[in-house]
Amino acid sequence: MNHIPMRVIASPAVRPAKPTRRALAKQRTREKVLAAARQLFTERGYEGATIRDIAKAAGMSTGAVFASFADKSELFDEILAQDYALLGEAMQDAADNGETVEKALTDLFSVAYRFHMNQLPLLQAGISASWTRTEAGEKRNREALKPVMTMVSDTLRRGVERGELSQRADLRLIGGVLWDVYLAGYRRAVFDGWTVDDMTSRLSDQINLILAGART
Amino acid sequence: MGVRNKQKAATREKVLSAARDLFNEIGYDETTIRAIADRAGVSVGSVFTTFSSKADVLSQVMADRVSPLQDELTRVLPYLRGSTSDRLCSIFAIHYDFECRRVKLFLAHIAASFNPSLEETTTPFGRNAGFQAMLRDALTDGITRGDVSPGADIDLIIQLLIAAYAWNYSLAAQVGADAGTLTARMDKQIAVIMAGVRPQVGVVGAV
Repeated sequence: MNHIPMRVIASPAVRPAKPTRRALAKQRTREKVLAAARQLFTERGYEGATIRDIAKAAGMSTGAVFASFADKSELFDEILAQDYALLGEAMQDAADNGETVEKALTDLFSVAYRFHMNQLPLLQAGISASWTRTEAGEKRNREALKPVMTMVSDTLRRGVERGELSQRADLRLIGGVLWDVYLAGYRRAVFDGWTVDDMTSRLSDQINLILAGART
Repeated sequence: MGVRNKQKAATREKVLSAARDLFNEIGYDETTIRAIADRAGVSVGSVFTTFSSKADVLSQVMADRVSPLQDELTRVLPYLRGSTSDRLCSIFAIHYDFECRRVKLFLAHIAASFNPSLEETTTPFGRNAGFQAMLRDALTDGITRGDVSPGADIDLIIQLLIAAYAWNYSLAAQVGADAGTLTARMDKQIAVIMAGVRPQVGVVGAV
């Protein structure tokens, strides 16, 4: 994962043609905080990792952490957003290469399963936090997820265009159920020790069933 | 039951009752194990001999809370009218109505069940055996009545229904949706799912 932060974190504000030393130092701090936080959230979950712990692990003061991030939830959401951004491209490729609508959907979700299963505790922490987020945090999270949701609805729409799915199918509704079912798959990983392949194969059956009623 | 077990059961009841009150009065996050122990009149140590964590206490409180409702539902299920979809809609509507009365607590329950540090002894949200059995009854009955394909994979349908049911609560968490909104959405989702297991397209549901 070492190759992600440089590309995803760097915001335009800290990427002028010739960054000042100050800006560079700030960016380094930010990256250090993000790396330490990722590690701690993965080990202890969202509630279990305090800003104090994160600062200590990054080798800086809590004040320095707050200079880069307004609060813990912003820091946490930034980590999730990085992952979504990275993952998005791989999911899109999978979706574009699927010959049928079921295959495209199964493949795109399977890419996400494979990615998140490498850091399952972090994902769990993310889902856990999503139930009790503040309104601002929730809005941020929804923005970060939007591209994935769009990808799912675009894939469904292509299914309609190709004549695989009925013109009358309620794509938004179907997309919502697909998303729920995809997320529910992680519970099997957490509680039943399912592998990526188990999850993908079950999801494929579920996708078939969900689309069965929407076929032409 | 030996004296020891009796004592243990009594402690358990006292802890659950104290926790139920405190969660309700000051919220899940604000309630500490110490506060629960104080209210129950037991030591912090004895709370931990029965429960592995606060999340564990919460999951038990929630299970105890919903079980009388589910017993009653299971009893009336054979008399519910309408198609299999209609009956499923009723089951979920009643659950939404019930859980939304204490929605904050219920959301805390769901959140806790995803926590990476969840203990193995905890029954997480979504693993309620009574709930699954009820859905199974309704669907099996649907095959008998002829509005669900005999080849349908009942387990698969139950998983889909529960996934949709559970994630609809995120609307309550995110935009404060009420029971009516969640129920209306679930009704549509049930229609989508059940359309795939109608007898005429039944082959697809079979595995």
